[in-house]
Amino acid sequence: MFGLPTQDEPIPFDELPLDDPLLFDEPAGVVIPDIEWSAIAPNLILMLGGILLLTVVSLVRGRTPSWFSAVWTISTAVFAGVTLVPLWQRVQDDGAESVMAGAIGLDGFSLFVTGVMCLSVVLGALLLEGYLRREGLAGPEWYVLLLLSASGGVTMASANDLIVMFIGLEILSVAVYVMAAMHSKRVSSQEAGLKYFVLGAFSSAFLLYGIAMVYGATGTTNLVGIQQFLSETVLTQNGLLLAGFAFMLVGFGFKVGAVPFHNWTPDVYQGAPSPVVAYMASGVKVAGFAGMIRVFVVTFGPTYGADWRPMVYALAMLSLVVGSFGAIVQTDVKRMLAYSSISHGGFILVAVAANSEAGTAAALFYLLVYTFMIAGSFGIVTIMGRTGDGLHALSDYRGLSKARPGLALLFTVFLLAQAGVPFTGGFLAKFYVINSSVSQGQYVLALIAMSAAVVAAFLYLRIVVAMYFDGNTYRGESATLAGPKVRIPAAAGVALGIAVVGTLWLGILPGQMTSVAGDAVAQLVAIGP
Amino acid sequence: MDLIWLVPALPLLGFLTLLVAGPRMGDPKSGWFATGAVAASFAVAVALFVDLQSMPEYERQVTQTLYTWMPSGSFEVSIGFLLDPLSSIMILFITGIGALIHLYSIGYMKGDPKFSKFFLYLNLFLASMLLLVLGDNLLLTFLGWEGVGVCSYLLISFWHTEPANATAGKKAFVTNRIGDAGFMLGTFLVFVTFGSINYADLRPAATGIAAVTATAIALLFFVGAIGKSAQIPLFTWLPDAMAGPTPVSALIHAATMVTAGVYLITRLNPIMAQAGWANDVIAWTGAVTALVAATIAVAQTDIKKVLAYSTVSQLGYMFMAVGTQTYVAGVFHMITHAFFKALLFLGAGAVIYSMAHEQDMRRYGNLRKYLPVTFVTFFVGWLAIAGVPPLSGFWSKDEILAGVFNYGAAGPALWVVGVLVAILTAFYMTRQLIMVFFGTEQWRGVAPVPAGAVLGASGAGAGDTAPEQEAESPTVQLGEGSDEPTAHDDHTGHGDHHLMPSHEPKEAPWTMLAPLVVLAGMAAIAGLMNLPFSDQFKRLEHWLYPMIVFENPLPEGPTLVGLAAVAIAAAVVGIWFAFFVYVKRRLDPARIELPILAEGWKIDSTYAAVVGGPGEATFQGVADADARIVDGAVNAVGRGSLGLGTLLRKLQTGLVRTYALGVAIGTVALLAFIVTRMNL
Amino acid sequence: MRVEMFTFLVTATIVLAGSLGVVLLRNPVHNALSLIGTLFGVAVLFIAQEAYFLAAIQVIVYAGAIVVLFLFVIMLLGVDKSESLRREPILGQRPAAIVAGVAILGLTLTALLSSAARVTGEQSVLAPLDPAVPDINRLGRVLFTEYIFAFEVTAVLLTIAVVGAVVLIRRAGDPIDLGEFPDGTMGDVLAARAAERNPTIDDAADEEAGLDETADDAAATDDAAATDDAAGGER
Repeated sequence: MFGLPTQDEPIPFDELPLDDPLLFDEPAGVVIPDIEWSAIAPNLILMLGGILLLTVVSLVRGRTPSWFSAVWTISTAVFAGVTLVPLWQRVQDDGAESVMAGAIGLDGFSLFVTGVMCLSVVLGALLLEGYLRREGLAGPEWYVLLLLSASGGVTMASANDLIVMFIGLEILSVAVYVMAAMHSKRVSSQEAGLKYFVLGAFSSAFLLYGIAMVYGATGTTNLVGIQQFLSETVLTQNGLLLAGFAFMLVGFGFKVGAVPFHNWTPDVYQGAPSPVVAYMASGVKVAGFAGMIRVFVVTFGPTYGADWRPMVYALAMLSLVVGSFGAIVQTDVKRMLAYSSISHGGFILVAVAANSEAGTAAALFYLLVYTFMIAGSFGIVTIMGRTGDGLHALSDYRGLSKARPGLALLFTVFLLAQAGVPFTGGFLAKFYVINSSVSQGQYVLALIAMSAAVVAAFLYLRIVVAMYFDGNTYRGESATLAGPKVRIPAAAGVALGIAVVGTLWLGILPGQMTSVAGDAVAQLVAIGP
Repeated sequence: MDLIWLVPALPLLGFLTLLVAGPRMGDPKSGWFATGAVAASFAVAVALFVDLQSMPEYERQVTQTLYTWMPSGSFEVSIGFLLDPLSSIMILFITGIGALIHLYSIGYMKGDPKFSKFFLYLNLFLASMLLLVLGDNLLLTFLGWEGVGVCSYLLISFWHTEPANATAGKKAFVTNRIGDAGFMLGTFLVFVTFGSINYADLRPAATGIAAVTATAIALLFFVGAIGKSAQIPLFTWLPDAMAGPTPVSALIHAATMVTAGVYLITRLNPIMAQAGWANDVIAWTGAVTALVAATIAVAQTDIKKVLAYSTVSQLGYMFMAVGTQTYVAGVFHMITHAFFKALLFLGAGAVIYSMAHEQDMRRYGNLRKYLPVTFVTFFVGWLAIAGVPPLSGFWSKDEILAGVFNYGAAGPALWVVGVLVAILTAFYMTRQLIMVFFGTEQWRGVAPVPAGAVLGASGAGAGDTAPEQEAESPTVQLGEGSDEPTAHDDHTGHGDHHLMPSHEPKEAPWTMLAPLVVLAGMAAIAGLMNLPFSDQFKRLEHWLYPMIVFENPLPEGPTLVGLAAVAIAAAVVGIWFAFFVYVKRRLDPARIELPILAEGWKIDSTYAAVVGGPGEATFQGVADADARIVDGAVNAVGRGSLGLGTLLRKLQTGLVRTYALGVAIGTVALLAFIVTRMNL
Repeated sequence: MRVEMFTFLVTATIVLAGSLGVVLLRNPVHNALSLIGTLFGVAVLFIAQEAYFLAAIQVIVYAGAIVVLFLFVIMLLGVDKSESLRREPILGQRPAAIVAGVAILGLTLTALLSSAARVTGEQSVLAPLDPAVPDINRLGRVLFTEYIFAFEVTAVLLTIAVVGAVVLIRRAGDPIDLGEFPDGTMGDVLAARAAERNPTIDDAADEEAGLDETADDAAATDDAAATDDAAGGER
């Protein structure tokens, strides 16, 4: 199903004369696999960028200027993004391959997701810069964790081995647990971090258990190896493998905030520092979905699709319904956006449930668009929270159109994009997803997704109405924007600019990116059809 | 022919210019600029029409592709325009009436603080509407469809200082989103079935598809049409939409946007031809809507609400036509209706303007003496809508009735409904004419109606001065039941509705009267497009013929004449009866204007009760159940015995465990499912 | 009964008893000691599989270093602060958790026992462990060939753990409530908002107001990092 077959030998020591005792006396006899550094360059850059930053700021006497870390982080992410270009070219020319002894898949899919992760880091860092200064929080550690977390996400997305994927997921998550708790002046931030950590550890255990079961059933943790094994062998007893599916889905479902594993989302989003939420909602979800797609669609899709699809189907349905309906009654904008991100997750799950090339491409495109619009939305929330990051009630947005018309307009664009209004990226993203779903015959799911979008539109409208209309005659009094003056740090302004340009660009001229998403899916590390 | 793109581009250009320079241009320059943009677009439309006419009949289908919007994979969508007989005639009347209404608005909106913004929205609206009509594929039509929805929302809420107006806007938006879901699903189904969503590809392929699929597609698009064209059960937003400025009501909620549903069904007629009983559904929905709305219109006292319900009713007529596959008659009526209903709305706007934004017809009377031009033009509009020959409304209505009569077994029954509606239409329009332009001058020395005044026993109908409680506002907004909404076309700066006793109504400025005169002319003669006498008079039919796959043939000869006679009789009966009640006062109007009719059969309040009551409770319930999956007991115990803070702290600490439990339960569910898939 | 079976049964009992002790005992020190039992039992299981190196690591790292660290922390925080588990946190929570746990166990066992034949997939076992080849060699070989990336990338995870631990412990001071922010205006806004609300109708608003209260209380109890426990203990 997935393009060119490239099968790297998963177990290179097969060929080694293992029973030759002489070999073991000679350490030189161990053949260390070829490390192709260039193939993992983006990941390495993010990793080294983070660690170097940590080193530099520890060695420099006195405090580094606050912009230094932000600039460093952004340049690192951009640099990592630039290295994607030759790799992309290479993959498009020579096809996908697995590197690092089969542990890493170098393919269009991983490069695409890496690009989205870099974007999410850039946006997150831009938002963080002004935020840290406003809140009086010191520390390059935020940026270090951001970069390392992104490297974890990249590892996860490009992992061709379940162990590597799990480690990537932990790198990604642990860093985010810490970042969620890092606003040392807010109790709710620490509470959010703790909650996220406890529940995250709980779900990771499920994932690990699932991995162990799949290993037990197939005898390898290498994804291509698993795929090979499953395509060649008919399991007379598939209980172990299928139980592994269920457990792994719990782990991934938690990361992407799918109902019923979503409970943490509103609380954590509400409590965690807003720029971190921007990264959490975009980067973490992107990586989570990338892992899920690589495991379920790419690896198990061709052979066991019929078994896992109903589960994803159910998760998608629940996420859409709970996400849309739950959002309606919230009064806190961060919680609203949390529920809406659950609903978006449901949409992407619809694409995953399609279990097709078109579905995967739709999911990739959705993730890209989603990163722009959700990071933009939380960027606005970051700015609107004002000192203390606490003004997030819907009523705090009342009259924003009068006080900061530009900000209100930007937020409107992001919200309309989330609602799926044409000529914004959100429309096409939803469109492709539903299209992929309908072409797989999932009419009911498509119908539910459409209806959920309708219900969710009401939520976005509520925020827009609060910003524009309620300002004039709320309870008879002319309400102006309450609270301290809204200041837009330059960096955050840049972030919002990038986000809005991205959102509109993908809505008006999506051709380029949809074909890139299509090419990304055409080049996947997998065995042939 | 290469200029097709200019038609929507010119209003769009107007929109963009006003967006940048609107406030600087100010009042009235920005209005003139916007009008110019639309007029230029009209000129292009005329040129295109002439061009198209010069082509051979079967080549009249020109596609212009600007660029490929979504190129990836098999799903290719272009930004392309399709000019064919249907779209060419649509853009003609859209830009024509649009230009007139723009001109009218210059006078009507004079002095409004958001003058340029109004024209900005109007231009955007027209650009979207033209995109809707000209789009060469379903998705592009959908974009226009969404665009007109958004503009409609913005314009209804234009004077959003009134909470009622903002909620009416919201209501229109949400109702339309329901319809949009149908449209989108229909589009996907079309793509799955045909592998393309271009209109040009649909027609040749449509004959080969299964009846079930065609029926499903037809019904999905009809759901979309119901929302946009205000049919039962989604019609309640349209009367509320009268909260917007009157030119908006004329342009969007009478002439153009609301007919988009009829356009869509006509455009998809190749699929409809295969769709079997879906056509019956459309026809009957139209018939029931026409009847229900007409009965409601009988009891309205707000000048714009009568027209709003009348629009709903006439749209029902059009759906009856396209449902019985009498597409030519449907399009014909759509055009004539656009003329006379725009005329009536603008006339009503002129009256409202002259009466300092008073909208209650019971406070009008004898205005013909003061507003002669308005009166004459309104009179023409009245003749047209009532179906008096030889004005345009008669011909199109007669053609619909004839077509409906000929439609299989259900035809006569539908026809009876149609005739009933025709009688009612003539009746309520005559009632309106009498209440507004004849009778005694109710506006002299009328004190403002005190709130909560006792319902007066009205014995003399139009001549009755007893202040009645404003029971005619049946609207309750979604979720916000406490607001007392009214449809009054009102905004700050016109706070007082009531004229000083010494004040006498004066004619509106020429910018408002000129469109009235032009529209009155069109309303009178538009019937010439398609006269039933002989083949050579059926110009519209010949023009549309190449793009309609199956057309229900009209009856011939004596039947046709007989049906026409009945149609004329219906108009006469309706007018006579209104005369009987409101002029002769032989019958107490209170016996006709039943409260249940005034409240719109309580349909709206029922919706509001459902959405606001159980509906909202459901939303709340979902959120509650979600936020506290298993802790219903906490509420019971906590609220009773502990302080709120303690309770919430308890919740806070409990939640991690509760959430973990949620994860565990989810795991159990997944495992339970997967065990059933195992071959043990 | 063969020796392996006997060893397994005894060790498995120890492992299970130890983990139950971790969950059920009330004194934290007892919990930690039970954990040692479990970890030690696992080490014995490793030996039964002839994985001597792993067994040694298990004892040294887990049973030795990590649990001892736990004990240190418990002692430093005060051993007498045992948490009562008698308190029912949320009505119905515990039975529901038990039911869910049993269900997961049952369903997993169904899966595992049904497919016993497939648990040792042939791919995983290349050859029975050769006593001539020390398992340490084997392990090292795998770590530096097949799992080299996983092995190396774990370093990042450890870095994050260190950075995170340092960051979270190094505090500027106690967390403060929103109202105490230097510019002060935030407090006014929040107070005004609280006053504006009608507590009986606006349920969601209450919840938020209550959340602030929680924050207040928790901040007062000086151990805000462990909000979960702190707030629980207070009750």
